[in-house]
Amino acid sequence: MTATLPAPSRAASRSHAPLSRLVAAELRWVLRRPRTLVVLGLLALIPVAVAIGIAAAGAPESGRGPGLIAQVAGNGFVLPVVALGLALTLLLPLAVASAAADAVAGEAAAGTLRGLLISPVGRMRLVVMKSAGVVTVAVLAVVIIAVVGMVAGTVVVGGPGSLITLSGTTLGFGEALGRIALVATWTVGQLLAVGAVALAISTLTEHPLVVLASVLGGMIVFGVLSAIPALEWLRPLLLTTGLTAGTDVLRDPLPLDGLASSSLRALVYVVVGMTITVVRMRRRDA
Amino acid sequence: MTAATTAPAVGKESLPDAGAAPAARVRNLRKTFGNVVAVDGVDLDIPAGSVLGMLGPNGSGKTTLIRMLLGLTRPTAGRVELLGRDHDLAAALPDVGALVEGPGFHPFLSGRDNLLRAAATEPRLDGDPRGPVDAALERVGLADAARRRYRGYSLGMKQRLGLAAALLVPRRLVVLDEPTNGLDPAGTRDVRRVVAELHEAGTTVLLSSHLLAEVEAVCSHVAVLQHGSLLVSGELSSLLEAGAGELVVTTDDPAAGVVALRAAGAGAYHRDGGVVVPAGTLSPPEVVAALVRAEVGVWEVRRDRAHLEELFARLTEEDA
Repeated sequence: MTATLPAPSRAASRSHAPLSRLVAAELRWVLRRPRTLVVLGLLALIPVAVAIGIAAAGAPESGRGPGLIAQVAGNGFVLPVVALGLALTLLLPLAVASAAADAVAGEAAAGTLRGLLISPVGRMRLVVMKSAGVVTVAVLAVVIIAVVGMVAGTVVVGGPGSLITLSGTTLGFGEALGRIALVATWTVGQLLAVGAVALAISTLTEHPLVVLASVLGGMIVFGVLSAIPALEWLRPLLLTTGLTAGTDVLRDPLPLDGLASSSLRALVYVVVGMTITVVRMRRRDA
Repeated sequence: MTAATTAPAVGKESLPDAGAAPAARVRNLRKTFGNVVAVDGVDLDIPAGSVLGMLGPNGSGKTTLIRMLLGLTRPTAGRVELLGRDHDLAAALPDVGALVEGPGFHPFLSGRDNLLRAAATEPRLDGDPRGPVDAALERVGLADAARRRYRGYSLGMKQRLGLAAALLVPRRLVVLDEPTNGLDPAGTRDVRRVVAELHEAGTTVLLSSHLLAEVEAVCSHVAVLQHGSLLVSGELSSLLEAGAGELVVTTDDPAAGVVALRAAGAGAYHRDGGVVVPAGTLSPPEVVAALVRAEVGVWEVRRDRAHLEELFARLTEEDA
């Protein structure tokens, strides 16, 4: 996806602006967009809300099996993992879809896609630049939830330190951070799958809402399909199938099967999504 | 009115002479959307350094033609050449500024920030873009509103910002699609001034408009489209000449004048106490010479210059 086009740097005679400048301009634009900032702010509230809920509910009753959220109560570093898992069911995919919707369909609706193409930003450069924007939003969203989650968890539970796994073992501070980094990276991977598909849809329409509706509808349909026993053979193909694998990092020893297979699935979605994006962007009228 | 029926033929093939390569050239250009033919086999040269006004009723294919010229949409058939490049249109685009289908900007950014974003994608711009951006804003009279959000701009201010984007760097060709849409008289004057400045600097300007007076005021060349076909193209002055043509002679002896001119080979006739010489027969000096030889007193020889409005009405009605 990247590394396709060398940036020519002949100043007066060059036919394209340097790719680095295009990407920088895109990121500046993405990060100044009020919608992006509002979405990122709302995502930061998720771990805070969970932390407040736990603080209000108090310690878990002894004797009951530890639910995932109850597990946080005695265990601050579980909070980022739980918050990421919650957000990944709907809000994170929507945040990324919204960035992808603005990236192409939004530009077309505002009439700015014409300006970009006339500048000219080459059509393949446009794909690189737009992908960079979507990836940035995905990474930022995940990092914000993870960091706010760690802080909120520490504040509510007190004292940064170890992580008690669902299996009952205790991980040291370093390994706990590693587990959080792992689930964050894996989450970004899942979001890139959503982002690539959303970007592909974005190149097919001039209405940003169509992209959001498609992603939302797609997630719901996938959820329904995976609940139908007769369609069990379909489940390995559905992106939603592996979305809960993130909580595996709370187990000890770490089971990698779920994370690996869902990451592979995400990769396939990225390849398909980007292929459609590139093919469509080459031909699209603006 | 024989002149009227023959006039378009005079303009139709008056493509500019070879020599200077045209800034843009399309050959047999065609675009269909399903069953609708938007542009139907257009051949057009835009001479370098000209200000070409593209006229046509709504839906005549002006914008589609411009979009194909700029590579925004693919022709169904035919060839486009832009600043001498026909394979790789994009390579010519850094030298082309355009305002097509209205201004397109982001509402949440100020006018200036919108231009800064556009400047980042301009291949010809290096270093700090703020200088060129502020200069462009100044040039279109938007300096005072530069830091206000685009959301709050009036239609005319939006149009000015679009013009500013087309002028960010020196261009060889500037394409303005209905640039005076929504502009007040002062704005219209500003567009005229900008077009005149561009023309003076040697920039070729392609201007599409439905305001005939606008085109007549600023353009050196015109092209008239209807139903996707090119009705006529050429130099504005020669088209108007060809369109009007007839000479009106005021004399104290019209009868003798008609006889003398017919003898000299002009199909002259008598009208309203004067003599009318249809276009394409004798030039004014020849007419005067013929009358003087026949000792007919000449008070005045006058040519009624047609206005573009009449020419346009005649062209588009004839074909309708």
